[in-house]
Amino acid sequence: MAEKETRILLGNAAIARGLVEAGCHVVTSYPGTPSSEIIPAVVEYKKELGLNTYIEWSANEKVAFDNALAASLTGKRSAVAMKQVGLNVASDSLLSSAYTGVIGGMVVISCDDPGPLSSQTEQDSRFFAMFAKVPAYDPSTPQEAKEMVKEAFELSEAYQIPVILRPTIKVSHAKQSVKISPVKVLDRKADFKKDPERWAATPKYRFVLHKKLNEALKKIEERFEQESRWNYEVKASRDAPLGIITCSVSFAVLMDILEELDLKKEINIFKVGTPFPLPQKRVADFIERHKRVLVMEETDSVIEYQIVDKSKVLGRLTGHIPLQGELTPDVIYDILARVLKEMGMADLEKSGDERLAKLIEDLNIDVRRPTLCAGCPERAAFFAIKRALPRAIYSSDIGCYTLGLNLKAVDTVLDMGAGITLASGFYHAYHQDENDVPIVATMGDSTFYHSGPASLLNAVYNKARFVLVIMDNEITAMTGMQPTPGSGITAEGSKGEKISLEELIKGCGVRWIKTIDPYDVENLIVLLKEARKYTQKRDGGIAVIVARHPCLIRYPDVCRENPVKVVITSDCDGCQYCLDYFECPALYLNEEKDRVEIDRNFCVDCGVCIHACPKGAIIPV
Amino acid sequence: MKVQIVLAGIGGQGILFSSKIFSELGLRLGLDVMGSETHGMSQRGGSVTAHLKLGGYQSPMIRTDTADILYSFEEKETYRTLRFLRRAGTCFINLLSEDRFDKKILDHLKKKEITLRAYDASGAASKIGSILTANIMLIGYSVGTGLVPFRHEDLRCVLASVSKKKDLKMNLKAFDSAVREGRSSLNPL
Ligand code: SF4
Ligand code: SF4
Repeated sequence: MAEKETRILLGNAAIARGLVEAGCHVVTSYPGTPSSEIIPAVVEYKKELGLNTYIEWSANEKVAFDNALAASLTGKRSAVAMKQVGLNVASDSLLSSAYTGVIGGMVVISCDDPGPLSSQTEQDSRFFAMFAKVPAYDPSTPQEAKEMVKEAFELSEAYQIPVILRPTIKVSHAKQSVKISPVKVLDRKADFKKDPERWAATPKYRFVLHKKLNEALKKIEERFEQESRWNYEVKASRDAPLGIITCSVSFAVLMDILEELDLKKEINIFKVGTPFPLPQKRVADFIERHKRVLVMEETDSVIEYQIVDKSKVLGRLTGHIPLQGELTPDVIYDILARVLKEMGMADLEKSGDERLAKLIEDLNIDVRRPTLCAGCPERAAFFAIKRALPRAIYSSDIGCYTLGLNLKAVDTVLDMGAGITLASGFYHAYHQDENDVPIVATMGDSTFYHSGPASLLNAVYNKARFVLVIMDNEITAMTGMQPTPGSGITAEGSKGEKISLEELIKGCGVRWIKTIDPYDVENLIVLLKEARKYTQKRDGGIAVIVARHPCLIRYPDVCRENPVKVVITSDCDGCQYCLDYFECPALYLNEEKDRVEIDRNFCVDCGVCIHACPKGAIIPV
Repeated sequence: MKVQIVLAGIGGQGILFSSKIFSELGLRLGLDVMGSETHGMSQRGGSVTAHLKLGGYQSPMIRTDTADILYSFEEKETYRTLRFLRRAGTCFINLLSEDRFDKKILDHLKKKEITLRAYDASGAASKIGSILTANIMLIGYSVGTGLVPFRHEDLRCVLASVSKKKDLKMNLKAFDSAVREGRSSLNPL
């Protein structure tokens, strides 16, 4: 490999590259958009370069965190990657380990999702850095993310502290021509040095550790003050009344806009790559030199809150930056236009073509909402649930099956595991009033391994009653097909120990467990009714149905084994029931004939729609 | 060269593959490449858009009114992404013919000096033997018309290097045929 080879890398692959260039020994993760591509990229580098990296898909983010931390306690370099809400799950470990610290460098990669494009919140991981009192790096591009990873390891080792790298989705999923460097192989053997006072610190000693942490943070802040690689000014060519403090991808967007509008010479920029701890002196000095300073950052106001004297500052707190949503180029353009106008510096042309927007609006194009794939076993399961227990409360969870929303078989989606916990909560709230309502919880296999068992055994223990349908497609589909403990395949594709879902459920104390293929809609309906009855029996309890059918995208061949070719007969009267309540993307309305037809490009011959047509117009050939 | 490209379509139409073609092209030409793709939810049959910026951009996103070229693999997605196109930009749509496109919008685009070319890439791809090559054919067609600043040989090399072995022959055949169609569209009979 050439010294300075350039490759097109996805942000997450660049981060993975940074990990191997830094000689990282252990990488763990739980998949979640926008972080999921990091692990597969590390696996690829390991294969390409013959490295000895230990890589794992963990059962959840906290598990991933602790596994990486332990490696660091033995002196090795480790990293853990997750999406921003994953850090909520791992936060217990993060906050505690900030006190006890690390030995080998440890980098916590938490990918934010402004928008949000694929998450339940827009939370800003940099607040977690502040909250836990650990330093954070905030890259603007894939290239910078890669370099920051390497620096983060150095910092982590120098101050024995975990370090956060916070790429936003537009860094993780950006593609860039990235200059790569040689890979470092760090020959370190695991060597855990016992020090119970530190690694098993009691509250009394925690106080001492907290003091040490505060001292380390102070030193890190001083180091960041000197830091010119990540914290630097892009100077205007003349005296500029306006300064902009910015970071992450917002910096990159702003630079492109200023270039396009030829405004670089008018505005000073201070780019911050280390938002916590903020290099306070340099920020104060920058503000001092300007009439007004705009603070532009995603997703929340981490830098802005830290600024001590805000008298000249424009930002979210002054209403100049939207409080929610992604700072897209259009949004940043509008912010800039407003500020330049307010300061009498320039009058930018209004962005967008209103006439065009109006013409397009008039076309009334229906937005293509995301939907379950044609032939998805989860559609079959939801359809059966709606049929069998139409008046139930449907608590669901995070995954492809969240799309059961479209089929009106999902009433709640809170966070990982809440399909079960909300179901048991609903049960007790109604039961208290002596009301018996049907409750059907749905959850995917990967989500169940992530946070199902504690929720389920709690529900059993406290005598809740509901039907739980675990949709086992033998994969983590939503985030891009990562293996689960149930598949018994590891991150690297080798054989791990296969975990039996049914035994796990049994271990949680459930006594009624049935497994069925959801393509068998009729029998699934019967089973659901039986399950409901069991929840009502005197000596009954929680009933669990494992609806097992592999994900079609992941295992297309399995699905072609027993094709059921269907046709739509002339009995179809175009009532569109199947489109509204079944929503297979292969079914579409032929408007001229006023009849539903099958798009053979999409149809996978699953035959499930036979059950969907109330007129019996969909039949097997 | 500095060029900003938007690719629009729906999941499964090869948007990501097309985006790869252009990013590798940038690499081959020694240009800085920046771009972004929609991932996640959008892959479940929803809209997919890719932005590509070649020749010295810092951010991976394209601002409204600034894209030079829009490739749209589906009519509806064209309407959704047209706003990115700049005045005097160029748009290629996978569509039977320009007459199928909304008349009012077409007139408006003409006023903005935007060139819009429809090419039945899906039809052409089916004819050649693989519907999956429609994306490659739309790109090939654009090259043939000479309305885009890319050279046939460069794109062909890149296509060869990013194609899977089993698709290589088919891809090149589809690409070359579309380039020819693009060329001949310039000299109507
Ligand atoms: S196939 Fe059946 S459900 Fe669908 S529109 Fe026709 S009659 Fe209605
Ligand atoms: S058989 Fe019916 S449900 Fe299955 S993919 Fe085809 S149209 Fe959709």
